[in-house]
Amino acid sequence: MVSQYGIKYAVHIITNHFGPLVAKVCDCLLKKGPLPLREIVRYTELSETLVRNCLLVLIQHNCLQPFLLEEEGGFGEVNKVSSLYMVLFDNVLHRVRFSKFMAIVSQEFDKLCVDLIETLLQHGRLSAEQIFDGFRDSTEGSSSGRVEALQENMHKLVKARYVERCPISEPFLALPSEEEAAPVRRRGAKSAKAFLELETLEQCVLVAAVPPEGMRFLFELNPEIGADRDKVENNSSSNTGDKRKLDALDSNIDGGVADKQVVLWRVNFEEFIRRLRHKICIETVRARLDDEAATVFTAMLDASRSEEKKIKTASSVPLSENSIYAEVIKSEKGRNMTLDYVISVLVGLSSSPPFVRVVDNSYIIDFKHTIEVAQTDEVESIVYKKYGKDAYRMFRLLSKAGRLLETDKISDSIFLEKKETANILSKMWQGDYLQMEKLIAGPTQFLLWKVNMMNLRERVLDDMFHAALNLSLRVAYELEQQKEILHLGVDGPMKEKYEKLKKVRFLLESSRMKLDDAIMIFHDF
Amino acid sequence: MDYLLRLYNMAAAMLKPGGMSRLQGPSSLKRKRPEVNSPAQSLNEHERLLYDVIRSKQDIGIWTRDMKKEAKLPDNVVNKSLKALQVKKLIKEVVNIQNKGRKHFMATEFEPSKEISGGAWYLEGSLDTEFIESLKQLCKRQIERSGVATLEAVTDSINSYPAFNVDVTKQQIEEILRTLILDNVIMEVKSNGMGEFASIPFGEVCYKYVSKGGLGGEPKAGALASIPCGVCPRISQCTPDGIISPKTCVYYQKWLDF
Ligand code: SF4
Repeated sequence: MVSQYGIKYAVHIITNHFGPLVAKVCDCLLKKGPLPLREIVRYTELSETLVRNCLLVLIQHNCLQPFLLEEEGGFGEVNKVSSLYMVLFDNVLHRVRFSKFMAIVSQEFDKLCVDLIETLLQHGRLSAEQIFDGFRDSTEGSSSGRVEALQENMHKLVKARYVERCPISEPFLALPSEEEAAPVRRRGAKSAKAFLELETLEQCVLVAAVPPEGMRFLFELNPEIGADRDKVENNSSSNTGDKRKLDALDSNIDGGVADKQVVLWRVNFEEFIRRLRHKICIETVRARLDDEAATVFTAMLDASRSEEKKIKTASSVPLSENSIYAEVIKSEKGRNMTLDYVISVLVGLSSSPPFVRVVDNSYIIDFKHTIEVAQTDEVESIVYKKYGKDAYRMFRLLSKAGRLLETDKISDSIFLEKKETANILSKMWQGDYLQMEKLIAGPTQFLLWKVNMMNLRERVLDDMFHAALNLSLRVAYELEQQKEILHLGVDGPMKEKYEKLKKVRFLLESSRMKLDDAIMIFHDF
Repeated sequence: MDYLLRLYNMAAAMLKPGGMSRLQGPSSLKRKRPEVNSPAQSLNEHERLLYDVIRSKQDIGIWTRDMKKEAKLPDNVVNKSLKALQVKKLIKEVVNIQNKGRKHFMATEFEPSKEISGGAWYLEGSLDTEFIESLKQLCKRQIERSGVATLEAVTDSINSYPAFNVDVTKQQIEEILRTLILDNVIMEVKSNGMGEFASIPFGEVCYKYVSKGGLGGEPKAGALASIPCGVCPRISQCTPDGIISPKTCVYYQKWLDF
């Protein structure tokens, strides 16, 4: 479930980008989970047309996924199918990451590709023709060479998986079969939430909406384009068509966006997040070890990338020393490394803290652990800043121990007077950074302490959302001030103030981008 | 050069009067024999009774209130006798680490047990932070110079410093190394027998130097720790349009004032 400030932050982003009405619908769906149209109308107290339009905006920008859900009819009646709308929280957050995505593309491809990605990011989903049309307007003449170049670049982007076919517009989720549902039926529940936990429901919908692997990244060069229509069939709704009829009220809401004959394209956020995840892993390795280790680690990522299927992959495929070496010498920094040297770096990578595991003479990247190291660094640095050096030691002691420790034991381990130790511990406990348990043995009472990393991560993430929201609100506030100054004219004494405001905005914006990296470490990776 | 100078200063600090007893240290908890011409002969009846009670408690000693109960003597007699016994150097007052406020006595021939003194790291009832810090510095420098080192190597090298004439045990050094791990200055690793570990047998636990910063160097501030909200004590009261908000926030004001 998304945390309280996660929702507030997402709604804030939507308000900034699409105004308060769309944000209202988004807020309702984030708080209540997937709903049918009539329920959204009821909760938001907006007119049905208005809600429909808001939903269309969200669909157009890939922040909403409609789906059909089969539910038990009850008392011998036939099963019914409802059409529900689900906000894609992650995709809402991605909206502040567009500049990062474009930076990635610009490192690999030329300007035209970056422009294509920018167009798609701006418009959400478009047909190839719509994309190219935009370029035709902005360039003088529309030579066929230009269209060819556009197509080729589009082809490159799809091949690199940065662009994909839009998901199926309204995937159908059937009731689980008898065996699958058995343990749940006993609970006698009927609603969507009953047979699928919300998180898994979201995952099921997303999985069901992905176009078949062969189609998802298939972009055919079409010499006719520009003169003719894009003729590739979107097979997406064919399997849901008959189900649609069952729920006449809600069906076809996305009809305006997705003409079934036309293939729509969008940016594949998943691939970008995967690249960003790799980047963070490399930086974590560099910070803990050195540049050489980072170079070898990068080579391992490159060698295994094509095999990676999910974003949250826990570990890479096994790689042999030779295949890693072959990849290392491809890079400029690794060109003069010898095989022996690469092996010694691999040994370093696989000793504590292990970023790489050795299994049967092969090396496997331990993503899960690498991300955890990055998370721990973040949390520890907050503890240090918030509660001081001694608290930092206590916290590290407790998180390494991973179990309850008594005050005296902690005080002995970190060489701090018992009273002071107890004091700091209880401060951290009040701030929810530690758990405490009382143990009463006869007349004496002992206090036991523990770090619950799982809860703490969630809590820190919520604080991050809160902080990101605050940064964004402050940026807006500073912008207001800037506008006022501009209104008065930036000469004389105002000039200095104006320059200062520019610096302030820069600091706020860059802090927000860094904070967003940290949010990804805790949420997306 | 700087290193030698510091070591010299440290040794000098340890040799100054206050540090002297430290150097005899807990590792030499020798019992002093009562002098031959013991003044214990010249005790009156009350003093003798009290002395026996205190002495029977050996290295644990006794709190005055318990003493009074056990000896069944009135307060003023006890107080007077205690003074007399102290003057005759038969008993001494010690700090009980468990309860520093209580007056606690022990026969002179005993050294306070670990429960009373607090153990190896305590000096007169307080943590001997100066001694601990010195040891931490020495261990850190030792590991920093060699890159990686085993517990034995660190202990030996410290015990072999000519300027450091107190023997520390392996266990003490291990405790010190644990705190250096918590400070993120060193980390515990297992030798793989290669590269920098070549001199250490495969699989043996050793300590590796990690931090480039000073002792207990500050960890690199993460994204959240670098902005006011990350360490804000008011974050739970802060709302977009509330009394405490990012628009009116004093922490932001300070942060953005450049
Ligand atoms: S905006 Fe100010 S008051 Fe609010 S959480 Fe951040 S630092 Fe604290």
